[in-house]
Amino acid sequence: MTNSLTGIRLTRRAALATGAATAATLAAPMVARAQPAAIKLGLIHPVTGALAFSGAQCRLGGQMAIADVNAAGGIKSMGGAKIEALLGDAQGKVEIATSLVDQMAEAGAAGFTGAFASNLGLAATTAAAKYNLPFSIDSGIVDSITTRGLKNVFRFFPNLSMTIGGAMPALDGINKAAGSPAKTAVLVHENGVFGTSTAKAVADGLAKIGIKVLGTFPHATPTRDFTNIVLQIKALKPDLVMMTNYENEYVLAARTIVQQRVPLMAMYSVLGGGFNLKFAKEAPDVAENMMDFNHWYNVKDPRSAAFRKRVEGAGHVLTWEVPFGYFAVKLLADAWQNAGTADKDKTVAALAASTFSDHFMPYGPTKFIDGQNQGAQAVALQIQKGDIAVVWPTEFASAKAVFPRPKA
Amino acid sequence: MSRMAWMGIAVLALAPFALTSQYLVNIAMLTAFSAFLGQAWNLSGGFGGLTSFGHTAFFGLGAYVAALFATRWGISPWLALPAAAALGGLAGAVIGFASFRAGLRGSYFALVTLAFAEVFHVLATSLDFTGGGQGINLPLKLGLANFQFVDRRASYAVVLALLTLAMAVAFRLRGSRFGARLAAIRENEDAARALGVDIVRTKTAALALSGAVTALGGVVYCQTYLFVDPQIAFGVERSVEMLLVVMIGGAGTVWGPVLGAIALHLVADTSRAWIATPGFAPMLYGVVLLAIIGLLPGGIVSLRERLRRA
Repeated sequence: MTNSLTGIRLTRRAALATGAATAATLAAPMVARAQPAAIKLGLIHPVTGALAFSGAQCRLGGQMAIADVNAAGGIKSMGGAKIEALLGDAQGKVEIATSLVDQMAEAGAAGFTGAFASNLGLAATTAAAKYNLPFSIDSGIVDSITTRGLKNVFRFFPNLSMTIGGAMPALDGINKAAGSPAKTAVLVHENGVFGTSTAKAVADGLAKIGIKVLGTFPHATPTRDFTNIVLQIKALKPDLVMMTNYENEYVLAARTIVQQRVPLMAMYSVLGGGFNLKFAKEAPDVAENMMDFNHWYNVKDPRSAAFRKRVEGAGHVLTWEVPFGYFAVKLLADAWQNAGTADKDKTVAALAASTFSDHFMPYGPTKFIDGQNQGAQAVALQIQKGDIAVVWPTEFASAKAVFPRPKA
Repeated sequence: MSRMAWMGIAVLALAPFALTSQYLVNIAMLTAFSAFLGQAWNLSGGFGGLTSFGHTAFFGLGAYVAALFATRWGISPWLALPAAAALGGLAGAVIGFASFRAGLRGSYFALVTLAFAEVFHVLATSLDFTGGGQGINLPLKLGLANFQFVDRRASYAVVLALLTLAMAVAFRLRGSRFGARLAAIRENEDAARALGVDIVRTKTAALALSGAVTALGGVVYCQTYLFVDPQIAFGVERSVEMLLVVMIGGAGTVWGPVLGAIALHLVADTSRAWIATPGFAPMLYGVVLLAIIGLLPGGIVSLRERLRRA
């Protein structure tokens, strides 16, 4: 067979091959329509450096959420579009966090989550605001992340004011239930944004519930020896030690307090960075009966038990950062589902109007005002028999508080 | 330097303006910023041998001046530049005079500068005026008048202007009588004194000059990232970065800080962009640092001389 126009001789086999190729070419757009483009999501965390553990935990949660959304068929209103993770290591540096936002925005990121530490969150959200790309904060507690008037920033979790607002009534309730034995406290906090803001608010809150602050001990991150601080605390003879610091310093300070045999009614931390199951298992003699007012899931929700089993089954430790990372992504996925598009303006609008309720945090459906979820709250926790129990508020409590703690 | 070389440098410096990628422009800006801070350190540390571990004190003062201008006093951030330079210069003069008058030099001077930076760190953490440990957030108000830019090329232009200024100061220093006195002190302080050089005055002036230039960097940093806290402003990491850039590039040379900044950012940013494995990028950075320090103790600048000899 010869094409009269081109003069090229076409065999039957060649004609069949050409026909098949043509059919495949014509069908390609249909295939493309069947598999919509993936939605790129930037995950910015410090996974190396001093904050590596917590940053990696947030990232783990985010990746689990992406896997779950994709396994469930992607964003259905967008034809099953899958979420593709763009991973960035901020290394604990503001400049790198900002640079990652630029890099990911150019790689086509439709939104961001991160960035564990408040200073990284402040910088990264500002950078994202220049593109008006939605940013779902997974950790980073200072109020100013959402109070600077940036329209693209949303925090599913409680901010510092909300957390402190709950921490003091919880302590007051626990103390009063035991006959109000605690009268004095000392504060130990890291001297950065997070620790200083929290300690200041805690000091104000303690005054309102009639507990006198005997001393405040700021420290740098990292600090590798708490002996001097603890000896000063011992001399002050407080009823309570209240710590606000990151993972390593939290554990080290708590261990030193036990080693120096400081007689206390309780160690009640607010947002204690090292209060987690890893600590409970690795240092049970130190951790037992320690209390913390912190983020945790609703232990009465059966989905939370399955989530914990899944995380631990994969060889990880469940810390609050994992569900934070998880639900920060799920919140964005919900917004994309509701918007039916990954368009940044429509996604921001969908987030602002969000009533996301498919979660097992003790919050209820989301209601955002200026980017802050109004129903979010932290709970009082205590390590009991090597596990974390919720001891306040009563509606979410799984155990009664052991307070004052038994004398050694 | 030949006209061709100057043209090559100009093309390299202006090339980021042709880039459409904000990310790449940002990398160029960070590189130029490192080179600028390195050069600021080099003015006293390299040309005068006044090894300082606490240059972040000047940087931090500049950053806080910008933050306070923007948030507390409502003064144009552009005016923060001369104010910061004046404050940085004053701080340099005070620290220098106090140290050199007491005859401190070498590692003793390095430790004193470190202590001064720590004093500023503690002050910034403790005072309500500076926002304490919470730091200061600058409101996002984009626009030339507010010294805030959406396009990173504008930020790069500002940093490039600063770097050009620092380079001009370095060139001027190298060819001046003051620079010669400084070099004499660096090579042999006792001999310089014997020749009639006023040691305290010369070294104090060098530190004041360096402090003034470094403080400008603090202003630009604050206006770029819109946030400053005591750790960012006065953390020792910033001092180390300044020192490192100069040591890698070549201390006491005009082009050393530029070459050092390019080398370090090339390694850090490309490895971070291409290698996803957590921890690998910083590790590679460390290995390259060790290799450069081990193989080129005189810095990258000395490579040319070595090649000529070989």
